[in-house]
Amino acid sequence: MSEPASVPATTGDFDFDSLLAPSATPPEAAVPDANAVPSAASLPAPTAPALSAHIAHEENPTWHDFAASWDLYRDPVICGVVAGAVLGMLGVFVVLRRAVFVTAAVSQSAALGVALAFLLGIYLGVTPPPVLCAFALALAATAVLAWRSPSTRLPREAIVGLLYVGASALAVLVGDRIAQEAEDITAILFGTAVLVRPEDLLAVLGVSALVAVAIAFLYRGLVFAGFDPDGARIQKLPVARIELALWTLVALEVSVTTRAIGALPVFAFSVLPAMAALRASNRLSHAVLLAGLAGALSGGLGYICAFLLRFPVGAAEACVAAILFSLAVSAARFRRAF
Amino acid sequence: MKSSELSRPELFACRGLRIGISGRAILPAIDLSIRAGQFWAVVGRNGAGKTTWLRTLLGLLPPVAGRVLTAGDVRVSYLPQRSGLDDLYPLLAREVVAMGVERGWSFLAGLGAADRKARVERALSEVDAAQLAEQPFRRLSEGQKQRVLFARLIAGDAEVAILDEPTSAMDKVAEREAFELIRKLQVEHGLAVLVVSHYLSIVREFADHAILLDGDAEQVVIGTPAQVFEHPAFRKRYGDFATEAAHV
Repeated sequence: MSEPASVPATTGDFDFDSLLAPSATPPEAAVPDANAVPSAASLPAPTAPALSAHIAHEENPTWHDFAASWDLYRDPVICGVVAGAVLGMLGVFVVLRRAVFVTAAVSQSAALGVALAFLLGIYLGVTPPPVLCAFALALAATAVLAWRSPSTRLPREAIVGLLYVGASALAVLVGDRIAQEAEDITAILFGTAVLVRPEDLLAVLGVSALVAVAIAFLYRGLVFAGFDPDGARIQKLPVARIELALWTLVALEVSVTTRAIGALPVFAFSVLPAMAALRASNRLSHAVLLAGLAGALSGGLGYICAFLLRFPVGAAEACVAAILFSLAVSAARFRRAF
Repeated sequence: MKSSELSRPELFACRGLRIGISGRAILPAIDLSIRAGQFWAVVGRNGAGKTTWLRTLLGLLPPVAGRVLTAGDVRVSYLPQRSGLDDLYPLLAREVVAMGVERGWSFLAGLGAADRKARVERALSEVDAAQLAEQPFRRLSEGQKQRVLFARLIAGDAEVAILDEPTSAMDKVAEREAFELIRKLQVEHGLAVLVVSHYLSIVREFADHAILLDGDAEQVVIGTPAQVFEHPAFRKRYGDFATEAAHV
């Protein structure tokens, strides 16, 4: 496995823009990006251990290697944990509204927004902030899903499918036109990003804190409006505004986290921890907290598993979330049996 | 209508109200007033327009013509048909009762936790359901769920209770108990009750006023239960059951 000429040892020494952002330099001349592998021929997909090879020069990375390079991995782990926790909590309300694939369509739209930001950068010379583009597209997707024209006879699931396929295909097409950033697009779509830029981490932390506070404030309204929408309307609760607030929060959190960790883990965090928690608990308030915990565990453990087992990060995080769901189902069955 | 009832405040009024779906009226114009403490029964065959009328009264559907007038900030509680509540939500019975307390934007802050808890406990006790407080709502029997929903309307200090087939999934005994409870709430809280029911003998026994809706014949009959049950339109729709209902 070849090693790059120079790789800084700590996060503070990294030039994240050259590592993660689109670059005009040819791939062979560029500094290896966070999604790249030490040798493109040896590994087909970007992995966390691939980067660890720079630091730990280990074929089989160990826990000790991870601990030794904590400064480097701290930010992406924190990002995964926080994104997992907040998406998990938000996901409870998404799952209860039977709108699981809305998050998938919104996260793919956010990914398209990031791809379009890169494309504009190439053709216009000025790259708009990718997170803002992601939020704009995510919000647009949410608005399309929320708006029901009386003349539209299609069920919401059909519109969700259309948006998901359309956004995914367009992101790949845009990726094809920005060859330099193709790996960035892959990273955003499938969550293979190994590193997180400080500004992306800050955005995830800030927006996640805002969303968590909003969930706490809106909790009673979100529950009533979902459980008995007619009853809530009759008691003069602003049901439409509560729903709008929920989906705006989803669009906000999904757009910021998609830019940082990718669409696949974002979708996984929005669905699987919530499903696990709703299976494990008979109390909604407990389920929300459990989903946050399961999401945080998925983000943190997923990253560590990716490091130790040389897996792509996003897929590893999604798999850990799926394993936690299986455990919750088994535990619920076990509890019922005895 | 008794003269004593006329002195009670008018909570809902239909003035030339025509109801329907997608702008097409399904019944002739309805004119009536619902006053505090009255017990109204809404009867009619399936598809007669009962739920459409209730939803129009509640402002969930727009009228095709005419108006629904409501008295200022009247507190209304609605018990939908079973399908209206989402069983996916893992809520305790007391959490469902607590929803009755919410009004407008109160969910953002509103009532203090202690006051809220006290109102929920008092309401559950009043319907003999205190022992259900910590039970998951979705695992309760239909009769127990109705009790909890009655507690919800007490907790909300409702002035009008609109109940859409509240006893449809109950056996005869549970159904009678439910109606006795509704009557108790009507008397003790001065509640106006509007209930859709297919159980004609029960309607005759408990209701003071009845309205027959017949979408097929485009007819509306309003009066006491006895007057409605003896009306030719009712007899035409209910056949042998009409005679039975009229002579309970």
